[in-house]
Amino acid sequence: MSGLNGQGAGGGVTSSRNGHDDHDPGPSDAGTEPDARFTLANERTFLAWNRTALALVVAGLGIVQLLPPFPGVPWGRHVLGVPLIVLGAAVSVVAYLEWQRNQAALRHSAPLPRSVLPQILAGTITGIAVLAAVVLLVSAVR
Amino acid sequence: MLPDDPEDLDPGLARERTLLAWARTGIAFAAVGAAMLRRQPVAGLIVLAITPVIWVLGRVASQQIGSKPHSRQLLLITVIVTLVAVLAVVVALVGHAPGGLRELLPRLG
Repeated sequence: MSGLNGQGAGGGVTSSRNGHDDHDPGPSDAGTEPDARFTLANERTFLAWNRTALALVVAGLGIVQLLPPFPGVPWGRHVLGVPLIVLGAAVSVVAYLEWQRNQAALRHSAPLPRSVLPQILAGTITGIAVLAAVVLLVSAVR
Repeated sequence: MLPDDPEDLDPGLARERTLLAWARTGIAFAAVGAAMLRRQPVAGLIVLAITPVIWVLGRVASQQIGSKPHSRQLLLITVIVTLVAVLAVVVALVGHAPGGLRELLPRLG
């Protein structure tokens, strides 16, 4: 027995509840409303990615605003900090798109699509780490 | 006989975990606001003011069932995080950090 399944939706499709949802950007009404626990888990994943996005924003801001300038590399903090902030925005947008895709898959009892966020995050952070090493080296040489 | 899944005994746990996730997200906004407050009080206060909005969004979302109503709230979170990131880029580029671009650009020009 599933305690939350179908609460408020009668276990059925929530389409045509009213006439105002036609242009809603949310997942399609196709399929059936999944077990609420799955919907809530999907939502928590979205929120977790957004906290990661905020952490990236605050890290980028901290690099630019709080670190002392690199000697001989006056642009160093911006080169490291701004991409982190931009990555934060990108993570938030992609997290929403993935939440939509996951919800649509849940509604159709289909396998969940593979997330690209770990690759985006790992790739960008690796790039920024390499950049940080370059900035430090240039700073040391000058 | 006890069910295998403890949530069958208390299905509210999933909802409670989600509510806590919303609270953590609100706290994350407060942390970003506090970090901005030091150098950019106006931007920091704007982000701090978002914290109660996130809290209320979480409360509202926890009372709704289904994908569609949640879609609007989650889209709003995405828009807010993106705007905060834009604000952060502006603060990073034109802020008053020592040795920042504001000091740097006239020297370059």
